[in-house]
Formats: sequence, structure tokens, C-alpha cells
Amino acid sequence: MSSGHSQMSGSRVFAAYLGDIRFELLKMTRTPAFAVPTIIFPAMFYLLFGVLVGGGTKDPQFMLQGLARWGVFGVMAPGLFGFGVSLAFEREQGQLVLKQALPMPSGSYLVARMVNAMVFVLVSALLLIGIAVFVGHTPLGFGAALRLLLVDVLGVLPFCAIGLFVGALISGQAAPAIINLIYLPMAFLSGLLVPLQFLPRALQTLGPIWPPYHLTQLSAAAVGVPWTGSIGSHLAALVGVTVLFFMLAMRRLGSRGISLLGPASPAGTTLPLRRAVNLVVMAIAIGLVAFGVLGGNTPHAANVAATSKGESVDGSAAPPVADQSTAPLGVAAPDSPVIAEFDGGSANAAYGIGFTAVDDKGRGGDSTVSQELVDGGASSSKAALEVSGEVGTAIQYPFVGTSFLPNGKPQVEFLDQGFMDYSSRHTLRFDARGDGKSYMVVIMGPRIDAIPAMYGFVAGPEWQEVRVPLQELGGVDLKRVKVISIGSMSPGQFRFQIDGVRIE
Amino acid sequence: MPQTPLARLDAAHKRFGQVKALDGLTLEVNRGEMLALLGPNGAGKSTAIALLLGLQRPDAGSAQLFGAEPQSLDARRRIGVMMQEVSLSPVMHPREMIAQVGSYYPTPYNADEVIRRLGLEKIADRQYGKLSGGQKRQVQFGMAVGSRAELLFLDEPTVGLDLHAREALWKVLRDLLHEGVSIVLTTHYLEEAEALADRVAVVTHGRMVASGSVDEIRAHVSRKNVICRSSLAPDTLRAWPEVLDLREDSGAVNLATRDAEALLRRLLAADASVRDIEVRRAGLAEAFAEITSASADGTGGEKMQ
Repeated sequence: MSSGHSQMSGSRVFAAYLGDIRFELLKMTRTPAFAVPTIIFPAMFYLLFGVLVGGGTKDPQFMLQGLARWGVFGVMAPGLFGFGVSLAFEREQGQLVLKQALPMPSGSYLVARMVNAMVFVLVSALLLIGIAVFVGHTPLGFGAALRLLLVDVLGVLPFCAIGLFVGALISGQAAPAIINLIYLPMAFLSGLLVPLQFLPRALQTLGPIWPPYHLTQLSAAAVGVPWTGSIGSHLAALVGVTVLFFMLAMRRLGSRGISLLGPASPAGTTLPLRRAVNLVVMAIAIGLVAFGVLGGNTPHAANVAATSKGESVDGSAAPPVADQSTAPLGVAAPDSPVIAEFDGGSANAAYGIGFTAVDDKGRGGDSTVSQELVDGGASSSKAALEVSGEVGTAIQYPFVGTSFLPNGKPQVEFLDQGFMDYSSRHTLRFDARGDGKSYMVVIMGPRIDAIPAMYGFVAGPEWQEVRVPLQELGGVDLKRVKVISIGSMSPGQFRFQIDGVRIE
Repeated sequence: MPQTPLARLDAAHKRFGQVKALDGLTLEVNRGEMLALLGPNGAGKSTAIALLLGLQRPDAGSAQLFGAEPQSLDARRRIGVMMQEVSLSPVMHPREMIAQVGSYYPTPYNADEVIRRLGLEKIADRQYGKLSGGQKRQVQFGMAVGSRAELLFLDEPTVGLDLHAREALWKVLRDLLHEGVSIVLTTHYLEEAEALADRVAVVTHGRMVASGSVDEIRAHVSRKNVICRSSLAPDTLRAWPEVLDLREDSGAVNLATRDAEALLRRLLAADASVRDIEVRRAGLAEAFAEITSASADGTGGEKMQ
């Protein structure tokens, strides 16, 4: 039926898509209330909490983790706000109706919005990378940077879909508030504002419910810092969320007489087949989400990231895949609760290797430490172990002290040392005294590069018992304990004694 | 090519819940004509337009654009659209907006050309949100004209325009018609329809109640106006059976009637001093009022805005 008048060449149609993209981009850049927070906030937060908070000490791991987290924070806003708020407004104002009456190429509205969101994410991510590299002097390889950009840019799609759905549902007036109510709590619960390890255990376990959690894991994998779950489960969750919310949004808009994908189906052809296909696709999307959420629910899993094996962060190495189930189980702990009394003339423990003074030079730190047996232990015992030294400031998380490897063997590399199964024990206890400063008990499993389980105590002038409630500590798998360390993280000189270490 | 209508509604029915918006409306737009769609608010004009633009589908009957489904992209590439109550992005400039809409069409006018033609140079590079209501309508008109489409749908194009801008827009419309463009216009300015339209379609209650040239519509109406200066009291005149309505107008009275001859006879007999008698055929406004109130089946509530 079409005459020559209505034919458009492919290049003109392409130009129309480009025109819409350019138009949307202009619109957004001329709306500073949108553009500025979207791009500046993630960079500002990263600079404040990721770079400057450390007082200039730069631990590459910490910097890269921050880059992954704040990067995802920067991904959320363009998707949620760019789609949600503007769609709600434009729907209300009748702009969408005009667009439908115009011969806009099919889906052009969505494509323009999507590309726009991606451009914003790209700028925001480049800014973060610039801060990491030039302000934080983070050793980020070119390949890792590219992978992070890819993850961030594509990672905006699930948030576009969620935004679309919310924008289809609510009024323009309510949209900014509602979107913020989704945006900030979801960012928090996904561990973007504060790492998940610092949240209550229940929230840690629920992390995989939230889409940003999965994107954060993929970002962490991209830059080569520890992450959990599997690539497949994270991709499944994100793809599922995208498809599901997109379809829900289209349904909702359709019921309001708006079709953003081009002409609605011809009269009388809302076929049962088409409905069936829609239902099947939605069911698959729900399945993907479920798979992803369950698969991603291993927040303390034992992934050994590429970096922990000494491979380069620019990551030509295969992505880290080992998880909890593949790390060997620890051997059963001896029945006796005693670990070390220090009365036999050495710092040796009842089993394993220890206690041994360890510094942080291997991680680039400049702390020093030494230990010796001193007379006069707790409870009138013969001797105790004294640890002293100075914590340096060269890295973000300096730590020195004395370490015990329960299943340690001599002449074995630290990375290859075995694990001990302490899952039946509930308390690590020992006596301590010292210079009045704060000290830390650190328990690590297979993932020596993850933030470990930590328990703080103060060593005062008098002997005092320290009781570490093992079962309540987050961040450690008690079935696989590799090392128990007691030491200091606070820069400056320190001196403390321990005695009567037992686990029961 | 046979003379097929560019746009056509055929016995279209459309219902929104309890409200019957269209009740078997048949409407055709022919090549090269300007059709004015008139009707009180809620008569079904907007629904008719929405069906022809493919924004909605008829419950029964059919809607066609260039012989195709109005939803078809090919058909819509041949129409330019100016809608009522549209708000557009306040931060964009008219030049950009006209160019963007143009990019959807096969052979649009250059945005600069549209701006020159409509005399929008002064506002072309200002933010749309800072324009007056009338200026915004002009920009929207520019977006429709810029398409260089064969058929334009203009919904109340001159609302909010000052006299000068309205005249200018009328001139552009006449030029477009002259160039062979077909136009569907909804308006509640009867003078606009009278000044521009080849054909008028009057719609009430979702039905076409009259259709034809302005003259035909007028002729369709038996009502005339007798204007005179009379010494009789207006109440006396109003009581006469021939008088449908009476208006006083700077010393003269304007009597609406269906039987001018009978009224004149009685008037001349009753008032020896009557003078300045003038008999006028009804204007479109009167015709319209009569048509729509007649079709309202005595409910009498229908008035022109």
C-alpha cells in the first residue's frame, strides 16, 4: 500500500535513531539536576570514602574494591532515574502520545534512552577510573579497566528495565521520591555504600536478592579483586531482572495504551500464541533470577581471585572460579582445647605452626614486629608471649602480629597450607595485657585476600581474658580455618602479651 | 489513481467504559481538501482523530490511513500531526525539535526553512519552556508542517494565538492547501472553519450530524435572523410564536426565526414605526448551534465553547 512517499532509506532511518539519541543526550545534559548528581556523586563518594579516607595510604585491593563498588553505584542512577523519572513525567504530560502518533522508528525512544544511560555510565566510570589511577595510584591494568567499563556499561540495562517499570507504574510527581526509595536502600543492601562484610549477617545472606549485588561481583571479577558466586549465576540474575522488568513495563504501558516498541499488534491479533510466548519468556526470566539469586548466595565463599595467586591484576589470567565447595575441607581439630601455653620455652602451639611473628611487608607495608617469651604469664603461669613493634602507614590496611596456622606444615608455601575444621568450637579464648591500645584477632579461611573475620579487644595493664565468639563472627568459614592472628592495625608503636590460648 | 480517500473512518464505534464516544461515525478525508471537524466538547472529535492517528482502535467498524492500518509506519510517514495538550521538553530549542520530528519523515523540510516560513526566527534558539503558550503552539505547528506530509492533522491549532499570529498561521494553511496538502482541522473557532475549510463535518454524540461545504451547512439550516429597530418591548416580541430567540444589540433587536416571512408580516402589522429591517441567513455559528441542539434530542445542554 505504501507509495514512494512513505519509503525511507535505511540510512535515513538510521539517522532518525541517531537523531533521537542526540536529542535525548542534549536534553539530559541541559538538565543539570539530573546530569550533575548522576556523574559527580559516585566520583565524589569514591574520592571521599575510597581514596582520601585512608589518609593517603593506598592499598591496591582496597582501591580496586572501591572502584568496583562505586562504579556500580554510578551505574544505578542513569538507569533508574533516566528511565523511571523521565518516563513517568513524559507519560503524564502526553509526550508519549505524540511520539506514538509520529512515525518514529520502532523502539527508537527506548534505544535513545538506553544509549543515553550508557553514555552517562561510561563518563561516570571513566571518572572513577581516572580517580583510581591518578589520585589513588592504583595499579589498574588496561585490560581490567576495559573489562570494568564493559561490565558497567552493559550493567545499566537491568536498572533501565526497573526504571521503566517504575516509570510505567507511578505518577511523575511521585517518581523522584519512589526511585530514591529504591535506589539508596538497594545500594546499601547490595553492599555498595558499605561493604557487605560490615553489615549484619542476615543482610549479608540476603545480598544476592538485589541486582546491584550481582553487578558488584562481576565488577570485582573484572578488576581482579575477591568476589563470590559464579559468573553464570550473576549473569543469569541480571539478564533475568532485565527481561522480567522490561516485560512487566511493556504490559503496564500497553494497558495504558502506550506502545514504545512501535505499532501495537494489529486489531484482533492479540493472539493466544503471542500471549503464551510472553508468559513463557517471563517464566524463563523468573527462573533465571531465581537461579542467580540462589547461585549468588555464597557471600563468604572461598573464591580465590586471580590476584591472590599472584597473577596480574590486568587479568590475562582466567577469571577466578574456585568457590567454597571446591576448597578442601579442614582436618578435624584435636579434642584438646589447648593451643599454646608458652610455658615450654617456645612459642610453639600444641599443633600446627605457631606462634610466629608476621609483618605486612609482603603486602607492600613497612610495619615491623618481633616477639619473645617473657617471664610471668597469666594466672601465675611461668611465661607468656610478648609481641611488639611498630605499625607503618605505607598501605591502607597495615597489620602485624603473631600468627598460628592450625594445620600448617613446615616448608609449605603459605598459599598451599591446609585448613582446620573448627566448626564445632564456639569460643577462642586467651589472656592478654599490654600498652592499653586496641588489638585485633583475625581469622582467615581459604581466601586470604578477602576481608577476614575480625574481633577487636583492648590490652590493658592487667591480665584479662579475651573471648572471641566464633559462631557469631562474619567473614569466616569455620570448617576451613587457615590462620589465626593476633596483632595491631593502628599505626604507631605497640606492645602486648598473650597467654593461655585455647579454642573450645 | 482512483479517488480513494486519504483517511477514512467507516461506521466506527468506540466506547470508554459507559461512555459511547463514537457511535458508527463514517468520515472521509479527500485529497487536497481542508476538512473542519466541528462539535461540542465530548462529541467524539478527539476520539475520531485518535482512531485515524492509530492511537486507538475502533471497537467495531474500521479506520484507515492511505488505505492501510493507521498503525502502519508507512501510513504515518505520510501524515503530520499537531496535537492538543502536549507538553514537550522544556530545555530543547524549537529548531532542534522541528529537526528531530522531521528526521522521522522521508522528505522533511529543513528546520531553518520551516522557521523562516512561520516567522519563528526570534524564538528558534530559545528554550521551549520559556516560550508563551501561543509561541509553543506555533512551534508545534512547525513540527507538523516540517514533515512535508501529504496530510496534516491539526487539533485546535490556533488556541492561544494572538490575532496577528492566527492570521499568519491561516495564511500558511492556505498556502499549504494551494500546494496540494490535505488538512484535517478541529477547531472551536467557527470563523476559522468558515474562513478556511472546504468542508465541515459536524459531530455530536459520536455521530456525524451534518457534513458539507460551509454554504451547504448554512443552507441546511432554516433559521434566519431578522434585525430591526422596533418600538415594541422586547418581551412582547419574545412572546410571538415565530420568534425563537431575541438578542438586543445597541438599540436594535436580533430575532431568530424559522419563518422570516410570517415574522415580517406580523412585525409590519404590529409596529408602524419599525425601521432598518434586515434579514440575514444564519452564520455557521447559528447553524452549528441548531444542528447540535437538534441532535441533542431536546436535552438542550449542548453549547459551543
